[in-house]
Amino acid sequence: MHQIVAMAEHAPAPRPSPVLQVSDLAKSYTDGARTLTVLSQVELSVFPGETCAITGPSGSGKTTLLGLCAGLDEPSAGSVTLDGHPLESLSQNQRAALRGRSVGFVFQNFQLIPTLTALENVLVPLELQGQTDGRSDAQTLLDKVGLGGRGSHYPHQLSGGEQQRVALARAFVRPPKILFADEPTGNLDAETSERLVDMLFALNRENGTALVLVTHDPSLAARAGRIIRMHSGRIVSDTGSSLV
Amino acid sequence: MNTPTPPSPGKHSGVGAFFCRWTWAMAWRDARSQHKRFALYTLSVAIGIGALVAIHCLKASVHSAIGAQSKLLLGADLMLSSRRPLDEETIRSLAPKTRAIAAETAFSSMIGPVTGTRTRLVQVRAIRGGFPFRASVETVPPGLWSRLDEQPGMLVEAALLADLGVQVGDRLKLGAIELPVLGTVLKGVPRSSRFSGLTPEVFMREADLAATGLQGARSLVFYHRFLELNARNEAARLEITEEIRKRFAGNAVQIQTPESRRETLAEGLDKAAEFLGICALSALMLGGIGVAGAMHTHIRSRIQSLAILLCLGCSTPLAFGIYGIQTLVLAGTGALLGALGGVLTHALLVTLLAHQLPLSVAALPEAGVVFGAMTGGFLLCCGFGILPLLRISQCSPLATLSERLPEGRRSYTATGILALSLFALVWLVASLNGSRPTRALALSGGISLVFGCLAITALSLMRGARLVLRPAWPYLFRQGVSNLFRPHNQTLLFVLSLGLGVFLLLTTWFSKSLLLQKLQIDDQSITPSVILMDVQPDQTDLVRSIVAAQGLRPLEEAPIVTMRIESVRGVPVSALEPAAEEGGSAQGARVPRGSPKSIPRWVLEREYRSTYRNTVHTTETVLAGSWPPPALPTDGPIPISVEERFSQDLRLGVGDELVFDVQGIPMRCAVSCIRRVDWRKLNLNFIIVFPAGVLEQAPHSHLVSLRLPEGKTSGELQRSLLEAAPNVSAVDLSSLLATVSDVLQKAARVVELMAGFTLAAGLPILLGALWNGRDQRVRESALLRTLGASEKQIRAILVYEYATLGLIAGIAGTVLALGARFALAQWVFHSTQAPEFAPLVYSLTLPTLAALLAGLALSRGVCRQSPLLVLRQGR
Repeated sequence: MHQIVAMAEHAPAPRPSPVLQVSDLAKSYTDGARTLTVLSQVELSVFPGETCAITGPSGSGKTTLLGLCAGLDEPSAGSVTLDGHPLESLSQNQRAALRGRSVGFVFQNFQLIPTLTALENVLVPLELQGQTDGRSDAQTLLDKVGLGGRGSHYPHQLSGGEQQRVALARAFVRPPKILFADEPTGNLDAETSERLVDMLFALNRENGTALVLVTHDPSLAARAGRIIRMHSGRIVSDTGSSLV
Repeated sequence: MNTPTPPSPGKHSGVGAFFCRWTWAMAWRDARSQHKRFALYTLSVAIGIGALVAIHCLKASVHSAIGAQSKLLLGADLMLSSRRPLDEETIRSLAPKTRAIAAETAFSSMIGPVTGTRTRLVQVRAIRGGFPFRASVETVPPGLWSRLDEQPGMLVEAALLADLGVQVGDRLKLGAIELPVLGTVLKGVPRSSRFSGLTPEVFMREADLAATGLQGARSLVFYHRFLELNARNEAARLEITEEIRKRFAGNAVQIQTPESRRETLAEGLDKAAEFLGICALSALMLGGIGVAGAMHTHIRSRIQSLAILLCLGCSTPLAFGIYGIQTLVLAGTGALLGALGGVLTHALLVTLLAHQLPLSVAALPEAGVVFGAMTGGFLLCCGFGILPLLRISQCSPLATLSERLPEGRRSYTATGILALSLFALVWLVASLNGSRPTRALALSGGISLVFGCLAITALSLMRGARLVLRPAWPYLFRQGVSNLFRPHNQTLLFVLSLGLGVFLLLTTWFSKSLLLQKLQIDDQSITPSVILMDVQPDQTDLVRSIVAAQGLRPLEEAPIVTMRIESVRGVPVSALEPAAEEGGSAQGARVPRGSPKSIPRWVLEREYRSTYRNTVHTTETVLAGSWPPPALPTDGPIPISVEERFSQDLRLGVGDELVFDVQGIPMRCAVSCIRRVDWRKLNLNFIIVFPAGVLEQAPHSHLVSLRLPEGKTSGELQRSLLEAAPNVSAVDLSSLLATVSDVLQKAARVVELMAGFTLAAGLPILLGALWNGRDQRVRESALLRTLGASEKQIRAILVYEYATLGLIAGIAGTVLALGARFALAQWVFHSTQAPEFAPLVYSLTLPTLAALLAGLALSRGVCRQSPLLVLRQGR
């Protein structure tokens, strides 16, 4: 019995289940007789709380990988398991439900719904989950990103930085298990970018959310615990999981 | 690792999405910035459904009024009509079954003031007894009708007094007597003849009829008896009616009951309503296309928002629900407003026409009819609105990451099923119009074909514009015209809405014009303009001398002998079995034994006015056999010549035998010749022609046709005839055709009004299409101004674009209308005349001008907005 206890005390900490696991992933498009492969043989695991930056030149397949990981697109081969669910076995609507429950997004073009006010944009993920009393949570998040007084403004009445902060509030209003960010600072100036990235990492830490970040910006990539470099649709380097 | 339970897409999938609070909230949030545009499309739906509701309600209300007041329309429980005097003995034998019997003798005659030169052909109605039994007749001064039997005199229509230049109290000459005008009749005398309305009516008591000396000398006299039956209830009334019907069977007596009159009226009403229903259905389909166009443009502008929602976890059914709810609300609001508008239009029309209708129609329509038409319209608009929603299923959440996405696969199966469902809906709404299923199918098919043709024309013109555009052409013009075929263009919607309006209005105009052309007397010197009727054999020389004294020469003269068919190929008419009534018509049909097809009853029972001659007229073509016969047989059937349609109705061939009852004498005849008659020529044409040498001794009268020189009226001739031969009627074909033409013009105005309804329904769509394109124009103009374009150049581009759009819509509508006119001229009106030029000029210029003005009005602010603001908003 003692022996057993001793063994347990000296055993390595149990490895957590990855929130995202990608195996032998490939994506190709057919244009007539020609097949264009944009992604091949991608293997990747991301663990809860991990921050991971995907970098690489334009056309290297970063955004395609992000789309496949989030279940926005169907792979040509391989599999993606998100929050324990193999995506290939899920229907479009089941994938949407999974995203609503476990995934957050921040886009380069902010992607706010232009017909909704800032507050309503933040409320959407809560409302989609049937939560009717989320207004105060949404307002709190807006306050946290410094836009407490702009809740009734429409996206076109906000600056780029403000729109991205609303997007950030929307992504964290229902703390996700994994957040996908596609060039979150691509349309912002350096100073605004800096403030936004601080907020992004702070929220990530606070909520224990895994962060998958696609970026061209080396300084932004450097803030992530793990950097994956892509080229011609393949992962050419991976600094490895910071949590393992 | 255990695989967790797959995430549920939520309880709000499929139809459930329509019952989810969030989808309603999102639908509202999404639409609130578009309220003006949605209001415009709602208006389009409302106009379409309004037209449908108004027409259906009017039809139903008049039907109900006819049903409830059919006894008032007939004025009695039963009307017996004959072209021969009714047997008084038989009529007297009906006394135990009746409470009252009234009589009327009606014929056409000339009438004129004792002094003065004006004369007029009128319908004389000599009345005895208390007819009408159930209606009160309004006269000026009041109460004259009930005293008509008591004093000699006439009651006339007010318009006749003005025509003849006389007043109440003046005396009018009718045949051999002069009678004072006692007063005028306003309304309330039921019509006894289908010819009522073509000429003014004059009412007098029957007691004075013999003194006119006209009755015996007329070839076309109608004898009516009106019976008020001694029946306690409806069942007894029907029983007595059936008994009387049997008693008069085979006696060439027509029997009308409130039911048969109701059916006759309803049949005419149905035909008119069906025609108007085509316009209403077109307006409704335009409303539906408006909804489809609105939703198409709306969803196209919301693809990015949809992708974001899908990214955030919204399922496709929920996304579908958001826009489905918007479609429902748009169509529902339009349907409610349309129903309200339709009810108001109905009330307005009934109030305005109250004095012109022979019965009182309720101003408030039946709720069931309003609900039916509104629901049909609503469903059709929803059906059209769902079509663009299919695009939602093709939307990918990946659009949030990349704007350059391959086009989603279009589901042709879903589109096909929806298109078929839409066709079924159009058919259902067409059936609501009261059409038979096959007719509704033809109607739906026809309208779909027109829409299809317009769409093909629009697409061809867009393709044509792309092909003819040359780089060497001025930039501004090229830019304006290329807007027609570039992405996000509104050309198809524009052509459908404006083109359909142009097509309907122009086709209506062409139909009216072709019809009116037929009613004009042509300039050929052989075409008569006046026909003298009822010239007795001993009056022919007198009439010739009167005509000659006027400097005129008779064109044709023809003797007339009246007769009826007694048997066909050995089968007596009375032995022919009545066939099932067709289409609810009061004109039943009879089928000879073994006959595969019914024979219209009127063909068998009517009185034929035949002639005898050994010539073939210039308006006739011999199709079979020959005419005249080589020799009259001494002992065998008399060879006769019959008209083509008559031979078809009775399925007669050369050699077939018929027996005619020529005023009591049976005459065995055999078809010797079948000829085609050009009835459009107003010459003295006949269905049955006997050879000379057979009927000369039978009682007969003569017809004489004349042609008046250009600018000469028939007044002087009519006056001379009234003095010397008062029994002769001079029918002025020009004025008769002018009356018919006037009636048709009025009917055409109603049809044009309905076509205008369609155009009105199309206008909001047209404005909506322009509005949809406005945002694009604003963005492009901002870009062009950033690149250095002047306001004048931007305006020039817009002018070219809108003018070309209008012109294309005009061309599409005109081309289709010309096709329809060709078909009408070829197969309906048999006209070889070329289409008029003026309406073609209007149909091309007015849409162009309308599009230009509407486009420029909507683009007023395009050049005023800050380019920076525009480009920033469009980011």
